[in-house]
Amino acid sequence: MLRIGNDIVDLKLAKTQSNWQRKGFLEKQFTQKEQQEIWCSKNPFFKVWQFWSMKEAAYKCYTQKVEKRFFAPQKFECFLLEKEKGFVVFENSKFYTTSFLDEFYVHTIASDILLGNNTTLFLGIDLPKNIGNNIKLKLSEKKGIVFEEIEKRKTVIGAPLFYHQEKLLTNSCSISHHGNYGAFIFTAAS
Amino acid sequence: MNKEQIIVKLTTIVKPYIQNEEGFKNMSEETDFINDLEINSANLVDIILDVEDEFKIEIDNDSMEKMLSVKATIEIIQTKMNA
Repeated sequence: MLRIGNDIVDLKLAKTQSNWQRKGFLEKQFTQKEQQEIWCSKNPFFKVWQFWSMKEAAYKCYTQKVEKRFFAPQKFECFLLEKEKGFVVFENSKFYTTSFLDEFYVHTIASDILLGNNTTLFLGIDLPKNIGNNIKLKLSEKKGIVFEEIEKRKTVIGAPLFYHQEKLLTNSCSISHHGNYGAFIFTAAS
Repeated sequence: MNKEQIIVKLTTIVKPYIQNEEGFKNMSEETDFINDLEINSANLVDIILDVEDEFKIEIDNDSMEKMLSVKATIEIIQTKMNA
């Protein structure tokens, strides 16, 4: 089964709340290779948060499978093939990533299988408080189910699941919040 | 340093990053940084660096991997301080 994860970083909040140049910040979370790429980049700040969102999106993808929580960003190593496309390697797993960058946010989606044109994904970006309803709305349209009857639940590690009565509507689902932005991505159960 | 003293110091450290006031008011050994305090994972490293500075310890990667809750953090701090 295809698994997908996503992560959004509000760049304005990242600028005020985290100091990436603080001693230890890069060393604890990024590999030697990544640190080198960050320092050689035209915009190190962007690169830090793109790598971070790639790691986090890959982690969310991986933990849907293993259902275990941990904090080991350095073990997820990022490789960029072009500005927006790349992959993340964690132990024996590889995750394919696509990032969307602008001056306001970085949003990365990761999948454990290379996404083809025949994959139907539902995704969106909105205010954090609207994300749950946006997912329900899409599911309601897709499945022809009454919006109010769709219920959000969580797995043991906190990953979101959407149900109609006892029927699971989402196959893989990921929600991310940071500052003024919320983002979601999911695949629907057939 | 005992658990209670560590929790007091941890409360000050996590305060700038919490997004759930209710969880913060009830912060105890059982508190989870992400599920209960809604701290963004992008800020976990800030907390880890602040813990290193405050307690004058070095947190290795294996320990960092477990630092998602107050309980795990207390254990790591006590182990490192007694080492």
